[in-house]
Amino acid sequence: MRALLKNGIGLFSPQGFLDGNNTASFLNLEDIEATAELNADMILVSLKKVVFFNKNGLDVFVKLFSKVRHKKSITVGFCDVDHKKYLAITRFYENKINFSIFNTYNNATLFSNSFKNQNSNVLLYSEDKSQRTAMAIELHDFGHNPIVCQTKEEFTEKSANQSSYDNIIKDTYLGQMGENIATRVTGNAIIYTVSAFLDNEIGNTFNIAYHNNSLNVGFRLFIFDAYKVVSMNIHALNFFSKLATSAAEYNATICFVGLSGEKIQDTFQENMEDAGIVFYAQMDDILGNKELLKELGASSASNVKSKRALNKAIVGKLPDFIDATVATVEMMTNSKASKEAAEVSKIDIKETDGKIASSIGFYGDIDGMVILVFPKEIAKKACELLIGETTDDIEMILDTLAELVNIVGGKVKSLLSDHDVSVNITLPRTYHSIDDLLEVAQDKKGVQVDLVFDNEKFLFFLTR
Amino acid sequence: MVTNQDIDTFIEQIPPTPKILQETMRIVNNGELSKAAKVAETDLALKSYLINLVNKPIYGFRKEVHEVGQIFGILGLPTTQQTIYNYMMNLLSPKKWELFDLNEKTFHELQAQLSFKWNKILEHLGIVDKEIESAISLLPASIIVSEALFSKVKEDVELLRSVNNLDYNTILERLCGVSLFDICDQIAKKWDMPAEISDIVYSSSGLYPAKDQKINMLAKWMHLLLFYELSQPMFVKASLNDFIDFQVEYIDDIYEEFSQVMEIA
Repeated sequence: MRALLKNGIGLFSPQGFLDGNNTASFLNLEDIEATAELNADMILVSLKKVVFFNKNGLDVFVKLFSKVRHKKSITVGFCDVDHKKYLAITRFYENKINFSIFNTYNNATLFSNSFKNQNSNVLLYSEDKSQRTAMAIELHDFGHNPIVCQTKEEFTEKSANQSSYDNIIKDTYLGQMGENIATRVTGNAIIYTVSAFLDNEIGNTFNIAYHNNSLNVGFRLFIFDAYKVVSMNIHALNFFSKLATSAAEYNATICFVGLSGEKIQDTFQENMEDAGIVFYAQMDDILGNKELLKELGASSASNVKSKRALNKAIVGKLPDFIDATVATVEMMTNSKASKEAAEVSKIDIKETDGKIASSIGFYGDIDGMVILVFPKEIAKKACELLIGETTDDIEMILDTLAELVNIVGGKVKSLLSDHDVSVNITLPRTYHSIDDLLEVAQDKKGVQVDLVFDNEKFLFFLTR
Repeated sequence: MVTNQDIDTFIEQIPPTPKILQETMRIVNNGELSKAAKVAETDLALKSYLINLVNKPIYGFRKEVHEVGQIFGILGLPTTQQTIYNYMMNLLSPKKWELFDLNEKTFHELQAQLSFKWNKILEHLGIVDKEIESAISLLPASIIVSEALFSKVKEDVELLRSVNNLDYNTILERLCGVSLFDICDQIAKKWDMPAEISDIVYSSSGLYPAKDQKINMLAKWMHLLLFYELSQPMFVKASLNDFIDFQVEYIDDIYEEFSQVMEIA
């Protein structure tokens, strides 16, 4: 079974009946490991559409959770669990629960490093006092406002007024939480979550190739969410200083949030500041301040370190890139595409009004970036299949466009793999306007292909 | 990915009911099972299908049954009609499955399990009606239609489903405005199946509850039976478990009774 991977959460959704005979057919270690490899920081099995399960059935999942947890240190467990199912699971495992249980998928996202909408008002209750405390601490660490009910009566009374809260947590149990360096994108900033004591191990756990390619794609603001960091040593200091120096060559900024003076020595902080690292007390100090975001570079990408040239290897694979793009947009719009023109040039967008764009980077045997420029109408149509309705909500369209570009990236990866070329893809980036895109790409030389879908022009640009 | 033209082409390619089957069915409907068996004997593929089916362990016969007359006698009138419809559905199934990891044998097994358990349900509900008994034979058409329409775009569908958990029915509805169950209905019409059959199967999607209470109740049992069967390891491995969405709320009021009939611990 394949997982749905969204915002760093890999979700498996079996349907029907789970028992000892069939559970292994739903999910095996390879399925989970393949999902974990895709930068998932939480892996969950949804029981929403499971009408029957027994302990033998769940045991198979729990053993898999334990194995993947041992290897990857990510959060694992069940979600979409109603009261009856919660009672059954907790009865099956009593005091040996080393996985998490979330009453809904949405509530699970509150505990994920990749959750975008922080600062949620969360009403919570658990009969277990230590669980209440653990959840409150985790929620607070993730930037939410937990409102903890001490008694069931208090919870019943408060939860009756649902509109007062963004989320209501009950029938939830926190097992061991993830410890990986998770990555998420908020707007056009990349946020890395680090925790515990930072030492030379950071060099192994931080995906430097991914980071460098994010720089190449045009990301210019990198925030280290360090609320859960206890302290760091000189090796970690050196690592971050080097990272900041290399980022400066791209005019990118590295920030730390939640790394107060009590956690690191003053001299460490001074050294890091000298290397160009900026410190903030709260995540909201950055993300809630549009002017500051602009100043830090989250919407700007000028002065790129080097204008890397296209090479033969990448141009040779151009048909794969175009095929992947055309096939994906055709699939999503159910319309045929025709190719109008292709040339090697700087990106040339004739009419910029009413257009939005998205890009995705790839790295491995070859590296570069695919940029897609959509007329809004084509983007809306392409997103209808995923959303299930027409919408003019630009944020929703851009979010869905990112998913579409992810599909393109996945298809490129698969096509190149057929030709023995191995690549990984970065997170997709979206651009509200062509001006935002041009800040990243206007000086880049690449292959531009003009395509036509339903009489609407659509631009494909492949660059490095 | 899939267009209305693909759907039209698929429907056009559905073969008409073979004459021997038409004749067999006509005689079965007149209640003359031994006469119907003589006609059915002349279709060797049908004969082989029937022998294969009735000798499956779920029928529990100690000695192998070879004669069509004997088989029709064992099955009785309603189940004979149901079995002939199952055979017709079998004619529509692909020689080689690509989207789902099925083959002729496993597809037969699915048909046999669904039919056997559907009959058990009807017995529990005290319903003796050959049209209702036959309704289960149309249900696997939804699987055949998914295979026919999506097998050529399997990789695209997998990529799409990796970013959004859409089932085949939803994808088809969003792309073409037609559901898998609309196409099942067209198959039923082309094969002159009674309207009651397609009404039950249409509602058994769990998405379009029937106004008729009896049909809706039967559709709930059928929906739950489908997912009970699709939870069997063989069909989970065949990627059938999530080909359509299981509507848990739809079957909520019959689940306890269902679990008693199926003896689920």
